[in-house]
Amino acid sequence: MASNNGVELKGGMYTFMSLKVSTTDPEILDEKLADKVQQAPGFFKNTPVVVDLTGLEDAESAEFDAAAMLSCIRRHQLIPIVASVSDKLSPLATSIELPLIEGGQRGAKIEQPEQTVTSKKSESSVYPESSEVVEYTVKTPMLVTKPIRSGQQVYARDTDLIIMGSVGPGAEVIADHNVHIYGALRGRALCGVSGNTTTRIFCQSLEAELVSVAGNYRMLETIPEELRGKPAQIWLDNDRLNIEPL
Amino acid sequence: MTKTIVVTSGKGGVGKTTTAASFATGLARRGFKTVVIDFDVGLRNLDLIMGCERRVVYDLVNLVNQEASLHQTLIKDKRIDNLYILPASQTRDKDALTIEGIARVMHKLKKSEFDYIICDSPAGIEKGAKMALYFADEAIVTTNPEVSSVRDSDRILGILQSESKRSKMNEDPVKEHLLITRYNPGRVKDGQMLSVDDIVDLLAIPLLGIIPESPTVLESSNAGKPVILDDESQAGQAYADAIDRLLGENKPHRFMEAPKKGLLRRLFG
Repeated sequence: MASNNGVELKGGMYTFMSLKVSTTDPEILDEKLADKVQQAPGFFKNTPVVVDLTGLEDAESAEFDAAAMLSCIRRHQLIPIVASVSDKLSPLATSIELPLIEGGQRGAKIEQPEQTVTSKKSESSVYPESSEVVEYTVKTPMLVTKPIRSGQQVYARDTDLIIMGSVGPGAEVIADHNVHIYGALRGRALCGVSGNTTTRIFCQSLEAELVSVAGNYRMLETIPEELRGKPAQIWLDNDRLNIEPL
Repeated sequence: MTKTIVVTSGKGGVGKTTTAASFATGLARRGFKTVVIDFDVGLRNLDLIMGCERRVVYDLVNLVNQEASLHQTLIKDKRIDNLYILPASQTRDKDALTIEGIARVMHKLKKSEFDYIICDSPAGIEKGAKMALYFADEAIVTTNPEVSSVRDSDRILGILQSESKRSKMNEDPVKEHLLITRYNPGRVKDGQMLSVDDIVDLLAIPLLGIIPESPTVLESSNAGKPVILDDESQAGQAYADAIDRLLGENKPHRFMEAPKKGLLRRLFG
């Protein structure tokens, strides 16, 4: 059990971007990917992605060129690391040279409080050195049905925070994931406080004292006048805090 | 069943004591056995508003410390039957109060078959205010139509939800009522004051009443007579309406519009 074993096998949770492929035509894929990547070239560069093929279940394996698809994705400087399929034994799944996970039910079943999809790497994989366990976890969001009063603080650990009511001035709502406010945001809202830069804040009326996404914050004074009192979302784009009307 | 109601606000000078005095008087006038307790230990005022300052012998701190009996401490109002005043001590401070001591007092009052216990809270969110709201079943949050008062009310609502006995024991939450005092429709119209709609929107609790700003309130306080006893005044009528609503009656809100100026007043006023 000593640490001099050289390796340690552990379960872990990582967040990856998922690329949903819904076409078998490499040319269309190429075009669509170019579109996406162009929106934020720096953001996507060398990003590991889970290739989600669950939308291609009905496609014939004959018309699907897995190698062409992968090379197309790599050409756009994305790194496919694993393929998500609904059936590991389908012809489509077996033709792809990537580790497979069964992800067909993911996202569809949200009534269960916590759902973990685990898949060990198959031996036939071309990446034999990898021995990690890939886990997806959906944690129930924290739901508050009352207004948050001045001086109160609410923190949703490892999940979304949903508030059915307003957040008073001097109140603080904090989440590791997204913050949704079905009311006016008059206090402070902080999302992605443990570093998740893809999280967002949504509110029905933006009157906030401060908003922050993964540590990038803005005060009310720097929020454009025309957005105040309007439904808005706040998110991070290349370390730049974006505020947009909903 | 005894009902305990705290009159609170966070901010000072918004009309808590005036409100507590008028509510206690109004409830007693309707035949309910009522006591109003001054929790502002060290800054005693309720006795002045109720006009019984010369009759204070023992006070809340004596009662909490078991130095006097309930019978000795309660001051019976001379105008209204069923109305009793429990004054604060002027020579002590809030540290003289303990939850256990207050609990004993509340228990004795319940055994004496009081229908209503009105707790007049001190300003602030410190010990005195927390003691006053701890045993509350209902809360009358007194708010002036200005932003700082509304924010402090928001703060005290948060404390009611987290520090009251009901919240700590996981019972049904304290029932919250909004009472807007010193409302001046003319100044609302000019944009100098927040409107009723603004305040209700900001605090999101049910509106119990609107007490218009009126010189009668100050006159009554100086005379040691709760303003509700002045049936002619708008403020007195507004308090009476609010008590009807507290007792479950459905009454429309009054005194929300600025009085129209006549031609002469418009020319010369």
